[in-house]
Amino acid sequence: MTNKSHDADVEFIKALAELLRENDLTELQVKRDYGEDDSLNVRVSRQLVAAPAAPVQVAAAAAPVAAAAPAAPAAEVAEDPAAHPGAVSSPMVGTVYLQPEPGAPSFIKVGQQVAEGDTLLIVEAMKTMNHIPAPKAGTVKRILVEDGAAVEFGSPLVIVE
Amino acid sequence: MTDWPTGYGRRVLDEVDSTLDEAARIAPTLTGPEWILARRQTKGRGRRGRAWTDPSGNFAGTLVYRPEGRPDQIALRSFIAALALYDAVETVTGRSRGLALKWPNDVLLNGGKLAGILLESASSKDGVAYLSIGIGVNLCETPMKEWLEPGAVWPVSLLSEMGMKVEPETFLEALATAFATYEDQFTTYGFDPIRTAWLSRAAKLGEVITARTAREEISGTFETIDGSGNLVLTTAQGAVTIPAADIFF
Repeated sequence: MTNKSHDADVEFIKALAELLRENDLTELQVKRDYGEDDSLNVRVSRQLVAAPAAPVQVAAAAAPVAAAAPAAPAAEVAEDPAAHPGAVSSPMVGTVYLQPEPGAPSFIKVGQQVAEGDTLLIVEAMKTMNHIPAPKAGTVKRILVEDGAAVEFGSPLVIVE
Repeated sequence: MTDWPTGYGRRVLDEVDSTLDEAARIAPTLTGPEWILARRQTKGRGRRGRAWTDPSGNFAGTLVYRPEGRPDQIALRSFIAALALYDAVETVTGRSRGLALKWPNDVLLNGGKLAGILLESASSKDGVAYLSIGIGVNLCETPMKEWLEPGAVWPVSLLSEMGMKVEPETFLEALATAFATYEDQFTTYGFDPIRTAWLSRAAKLGEVITARTAREEISGTFETIDGSGNLVLTTAQGAVTIPAADIFF
C-alpha cells in the first residue's frame, strides 16, 4: 500500500471517529472495497461514560483510573465547526437540500472525494436553487446540516479538507 | 411589436430536453445574457424534481446570465422575473385584470396558475457564478389534472381565460423587454422599487395564507415582503419571516 492511500485511509478513519462522536454512537463498522483483494475494513468504537450517578458509592473510589480515562472526548465539546478552516458556510438564509430532488441520491457523503466546483448541496431562497460548490478539491469530512433544515447566512454546512 | 432589448442574445430551438439544462450547458461559454426558447421540451423541470409538462404552443424559455452580487441578491431575481412575466402578459393581451402575483414568483390569472418560474444559480468550472431563470407559461394549454399536487393552484391558460392565442416568440419579445427594464432598475436603484412594484401586484396581501416549508406549515396574515424578499406573516406567535416555502390559500 502506498503512502498516499495510507494517508487517505487515516483521514477516512478520522472522519469515522468524528461521525461516531457527533452522533453519539458507540460503534461503527465500515468496509470499503477498492478493487479485487484490496479493501479496508474499519471498526471504530468508544466507551460511553456513564453519567456520573449522583451519590457515588464509596466503593467506586476504588477505581479512580477508569474514571479519568474518558476525559479526552469531553474536550471536543468546545469545537466550533464554523471556525474550521475547511468549513463551507451558507452564503444566504434559506432551506438546505442534500439531494438534487426528493428520492435522488445525496450530492455528497462523508468520506467522499470532491473536486473543486462540485455541488455539495443546495440552499433555496426565493425559489432560487443555489448550488453550493466545493471551494477546493478534498474529502468531505462532515455534513453539518440535515435535509430540509433552515440555515442562516454564515451557517457552517460541510467540512471539506 | 416590441423591440428586442439591447445586449441580450436569443436562441430558438425546435426541441430540447429542458431549457434549464441547455442553459447549464452554454453557461461556461456565455458572452452576454442569453434567452433560450424551445418550441418543445422533452424533459421540462419544476421545483424539486417535479415534472413540468409543456404541450406544444406553450412558452418554455430560460434566461441565463452572470449577474453580479452576493447569492442573496441574485435570488431577488425571482421577483424581477415575476414582474416581467406579469407585464409581458399585460403587453401581449392589453389587459391586466385578473392578474396577480403569488409569493415569490407565481403568476396567477383569475386565481389559477398561469406560469411557473424556477431559478438555479451555480458556479461553473472556472468559478464564475451564473443564474438561470426557467419560465413556463400556459399560453394555450394547461397540464393534465393528474400532474397536480393536492392543494396546488388550478392551472389556467391565456387562451382559456382571455380567449387569445399568443405565439411563444411574440411572448418572448415582450418578456425579454420587460425583464431588461426591471433588471436595469434593480442594478441601478436596488430592491426597493422592485419590492414596491411586486407588492402592488400581490395576491392575498392582508389576508390569511399558509406557507408550507420543508419542515412545517405556518398560517398567518400576509403582511408584506421584507427588504430581502422574505415573506412576512403575522401569526398568533408574532411576525414570522420565511425565505423558502410553498404558499397555499
